[in-house]
Amino acid sequence: MSDHPRPTRLSRLLARCYPRELREEYADEIARFIDDARRDPRNQGRPLAALGVAATLTRDALFSLFASLRNGAPRPIRGRTPEVSFIKRVRSFSMEAVLQDIKYALRGFVRRPAFTAVALITLALGIGGNSAVFTLVNAVLLKVLPYPNPDRLVFIYGGTDASRQLPLSAPDVEDLRTQNRTFEDIGIANTQSVNLTGGDRPDRVIGNFVSASSLRILGATTALGRIFTEDETRIGAGEPVVVLSYATWRSRYGSRTDIIGQKVILNGQPHTVIGVTNAAFRDPAACDIWLPISSASRSWFRRDNPAVHGVGRLKAGVTLLDAEKDLGVIAKQLVTKYQSANLKESVAVLDMRESLVGGSRFTLIVLFGAVVAVLLIACVNIANLQLVRASTRQREMSIRAAMGANRARLVSQTLVESLLLALVGGAMGVAVGQIAAKFLVKVMPPNMPLMGELAPDWRVLAFSFAMALLTGLLFGAPAAFAGTRTNLNGALRTRSELASTGRFNVRNILVISELALCVVLLAVAGLFTRTMQSLNNVDIGFNAEQVLSAEFRIPAVKYDDSQKVRQFMRSALEHLRATPGVVHAAYVGSIPFSGNSDNVPYVAEGQPDVSRDKAPGALFTTISDQYFKTMQIPQLAGRDFTSSDVMGSEPVAIINKTLADKAWPGQNAVGKTLRLKMQPEVTVRVVGVVGAAKQFTMTEETQTQIYVSKEQYTGIFTSVVLRTTGDPDAMNKALHEAIWSVDRDQPIWKVRSLQFLVDRDLAPSRVLVSIVNAFALLALLLGAIGVYGVMSFAVQQRSREMGIRMALGARTTQVLNLVLRSGLEVVLIALAIGVAGAMAAGKFVESRLYNVRPGDPATMIGVPLLLGAVALFACYLPARRAARVDPAVTLRSE
Amino acid sequence: MSRKPPDSLLPLTPAVLHILLVLADGERHGYAIAQEVESMSDGQVRMGPGTLYGSILRMTDTELIEEVTGRPRENGDERRRYYRLTVFGRQVLALELQRLNAVMNVARRKQLLGAPLAEGAS
Repeated sequence: MSDHPRPTRLSRLLARCYPRELREEYADEIARFIDDARRDPRNQGRPLAALGVAATLTRDALFSLFASLRNGAPRPIRGRTPEVSFIKRVRSFSMEAVLQDIKYALRGFVRRPAFTAVALITLALGIGGNSAVFTLVNAVLLKVLPYPNPDRLVFIYGGTDASRQLPLSAPDVEDLRTQNRTFEDIGIANTQSVNLTGGDRPDRVIGNFVSASSLRILGATTALGRIFTEDETRIGAGEPVVVLSYATWRSRYGSRTDIIGQKVILNGQPHTVIGVTNAAFRDPAACDIWLPISSASRSWFRRDNPAVHGVGRLKAGVTLLDAEKDLGVIAKQLVTKYQSANLKESVAVLDMRESLVGGSRFTLIVLFGAVVAVLLIACVNIANLQLVRASTRQREMSIRAAMGANRARLVSQTLVESLLLALVGGAMGVAVGQIAAKFLVKVMPPNMPLMGELAPDWRVLAFSFAMALLTGLLFGAPAAFAGTRTNLNGALRTRSELASTGRFNVRNILVISELALCVVLLAVAGLFTRTMQSLNNVDIGFNAEQVLSAEFRIPAVKYDDSQKVRQFMRSALEHLRATPGVVHAAYVGSIPFSGNSDNVPYVAEGQPDVSRDKAPGALFTTISDQYFKTMQIPQLAGRDFTSSDVMGSEPVAIINKTLADKAWPGQNAVGKTLRLKMQPEVTVRVVGVVGAAKQFTMTEETQTQIYVSKEQYTGIFTSVVLRTTGDPDAMNKALHEAIWSVDRDQPIWKVRSLQFLVDRDLAPSRVLVSIVNAFALLALLLGAIGVYGVMSFAVQQRSREMGIRMALGARTTQVLNLVLRSGLEVVLIALAIGVAGAMAAGKFVESRLYNVRPGDPATMIGVPLLLGAVALFACYLPARRAARVDPAVTLRSE
Repeated sequence: MSRKPPDSLLPLTPAVLHILLVLADGERHGYAIAQEVESMSDGQVRMGPGTLYGSILRMTDTELIEEVTGRPRENGDERRRYYRLTVFGRQVLALELQRLNAVMNVARRKQLLGAPLAEGAS
C-alpha cells in the first residue's frame, strides 16, 4: 500500500496529539495511518475530502484523549494521591499533560471556591475595564476612516504660527487644486446650518457645501441617483440640487424611492434631489445633506473672504510635509498676485484622521493608563494569593519533585492554573467590558468621534485575550517560579519560609510595585481634582443660571432686505419679553460657550492707522439692548444700547474692560472712537464699558471684546437669550410659540440653557476626573488589601520567631515595632518610587491642568501621606496579632 | 494474563466487531483494516487512528487478536505491523454473531425487518 516507509514529520507531529498510552505503543503506526489517509488516491485532488480527513482526525484525537482521561488506562491505585500517579504517567509536555493540568486546576478551583470567586471577580472587573476602554480606543483611535486609502486623505487650511486651522477662500483652494503637483485631487467644503421647510414643522439640517471633487475624494457612492457633476458645483453654476445622506432620507423622507427628482425647500429655495448616498457613507463633518458649493452665498467666492477649507487626496507616496511645501509655494505666488492676506504665512495640510480624532487621544490615553494600573494592582493581589497558596503547597511540591517530577512540569502546572483563571476571568471581562463601554460612551464628552460601531470586533477580542494571557502569566509567574523552587533536603523536613527572606524578596517587590502604582494613580487623580476646584472658582463674567438660549437663521429669500429682517427681530423680541416667566430677553450674535464667534480688526483712537491685517483683533458681537441685563454682565461705565441707536444715527459700540484697559489705559473709554476694519471700514463711538466675559472656555484669558447694536448691523444668523424666573428648560415651548407667532415657518434650533453650555465646556474634564478618581479609589482599596495580605502572611511565617522572642522576654510593643518597622521600610521605598513616577505622570497630564503645577506640593505630599497611613494601618493589624501571640502556643505548633 | 471466558466480552463494540470481521479474512495492517471497515459498512463506520489503535490495544490485551511476527518484508516495508485473529478471537466473533443472529431471528419473527425499514428507506 505504502511506498513511504518512514512517516512524515507532519504526521509524527499530529500523532503527538494522541494519548500517551497509544503513542507509546503505536506512535509510528498512527503517523503512518495519517500519511496513508492523506495520500489515499480517493482523496487526491479533492480539497473537500482532505477537509473531511482533517475533521475525522480531529474528532478522533479528541475522543481518544477524553476516553483515555476518563478510563485513565493505567488506573491509579486506590489510596495513592492522584498527583503522584499524574507525575508518573506524564513526564514531558504533551496535549495530554495540558489536559491533565487543566483538569487538576479545575478540581483545585472547586476546592477553593472563595479564592476562585475573588480572583475571578477581580479579573473580570480588571480585564473588563481594560476591554471597555480598549473598545473605545479601538472605535475612536484605531479603526481606519471608512474611506478608500484613508491614509492619503487630508484637510487643507490656512496656517500661521498660532493656528493651523484657519479658513481659506474658495478661489484660493481652486487655484491650489489646479496648480499643485502632490495631490490627486482637492475639493472645497464647508458646513452650515440650512433651514428645511415644507414638512410638518420647520427644521434645521446640517448642510455641507462641497465641490464635486470633495465627494469623489471621499469615495462617496449612492444608493439612489448620483453625486454632483463637475458642472453642477462650478462656481457660478448655482444649480439648485441636493444630495441626501442615507440617514436623512430614511428619517425625513421615509426611504421613499421616488425621492429622486423631487423638490425640497432649503433656505426658502426649492432644490432638486439628485441622489441619496449609501448607508455606509458618512461625511467627516457628519452632515445631513450636501449642496453644491455654487449654491452657497456669493460672498464665499470672493478671494478676500476666507470661508471654506480644502479636502484633499495625496498622490501615493507623498508625505504631509511634501504636500505642505508644494502648496506653500503656490500660496506665496497667490499672495503676490492678488495681494491677499488670507493665505497668511503658509498652508496647513492636516492628516484627516488626526484632525478628527486627535483631540480625544489624550483623554483615552489617560483612561487607558488608569485601567492598566488598576489591572496591574489587581494582578499583584492575585499573585500574592497565589504565592500564599504556593507556600502552603511547598511540601506537596517537594514530594512530587522527590517522586521524579521535574521543575518544568511543576512550573507548567502552576502556570496552567493561573492562565485558566485568567482566561475565564478574561471571558467574563469581555462581557463586563461591553456593558462598561456602552456606559462610558454615555458619560463621555459628546464630541468623541466614533469611527465605527462599538461592537467588539476581532481586535477587542484579541486584545482582551492577550490581556488575560498576560495577567495570567504576570500573577502566575511569581508563584510558579518561587513556589516550585524546591529544596528537597529542607522542605520535606520542615515548613519552609517561602520567598520571604531578605528585603527584596518576591513578595516585597510585589507590594512595592503595587503601592508605587497606587501613588501614581492617586497623584494624577489629585492633580485633576485640584484642577477641577480651580475651574469651579473661575469667574466667567456672567451668570449662567436661569438663562435659556436658542439659535435661528432668517431665510434671506423671504426677508430680502434688512428692513424686513429688523421688523421680524423687533416683533419677535416684543413677543418674547411679553411672555410670562421671562425677566429679560435679548439677541446676541454668538452666545458665550456656544463655540461661535466673530472677530474684527480695530484701530483705537489715538493709535496710528494700520492696514486690516496688521491691526489687533477683538471679538465682535452684535447684540440688542438688555443683553447685559439678561446675562448679568456688569455695566462699568456709560450706557446700554437704546432705541435711539438705529440705522442712520451715529454708529456706537460697547466694549469690555479688557479692551478699555488695553486701548486707553488709565483713561475714560466712553466717548472715544474705534475704527473697525470691516468692509467697508466703520468708525464707532464707545458709549459704554462692561465687565469681561469669557467666550469659549473656562480656561481662556478674557479677550478684548466689541459689542455693536443689532439695529445698526443686521445679520441673518442670530441667537436669543432669555433670563427666566424659573427653570429655563421649562420655557422651551413658550420660546417657540413667541417666535412662531411672528413667523410660523421660522425654524429654531439649539434650544439650550446657558448653564448647559457652560457645563458642556467642563464636561470632558469632569468625566475624566470622576473616572480617574474612581480608579484611584479602587487602586487605594486594592493596595491596602495587598499590603494587608502580604504583611499578615509575613507575620504568620515569622510567628515562630515571634514566639521565641516573646518567650525570651520581648515586650508586646517591641514585637509590634519589629513588625511595623519591616512594613514601614517596604512602604517608604514604595512611596519614594511612587512619587518619582507621579512627577513624571504629572508632566504628562500638564496640558490638562489649570492653575495647578504638575509637581503640586499639596498633591505630592498629601498622596504619599494618605497612602502611607493606609498602608501602615494595613501593617498594624497583623502586627497587633503577632504581638498578642501566646508564645507557648506558637512554639508547640511548630 | 488469564483469559476471560469468551462470552464475558459480549456484546462487542461496533469498532471491535468490525475489526474482527475484517481480520477473519486474514492478516491486515492498520490502515487496511480501517479502509476495509469503511467499505464493508458502505462508509457508515469510519475509523480514525485513535479509535483503531485504541481498539487494537484493548483487543491485543484481551487476546482477541495478535500481532504477526516474523513476517517477510513487503516492498521493503519492514516496520508496518500486521494483525490477525487468535483462536480465542474467532470464538468470540462466532459467539457475537450467534448472539446477533438470535436477535435478528426475534426481529424477523416479529416482522420488524421488512416493511417498516423499506418504508423508511423510500
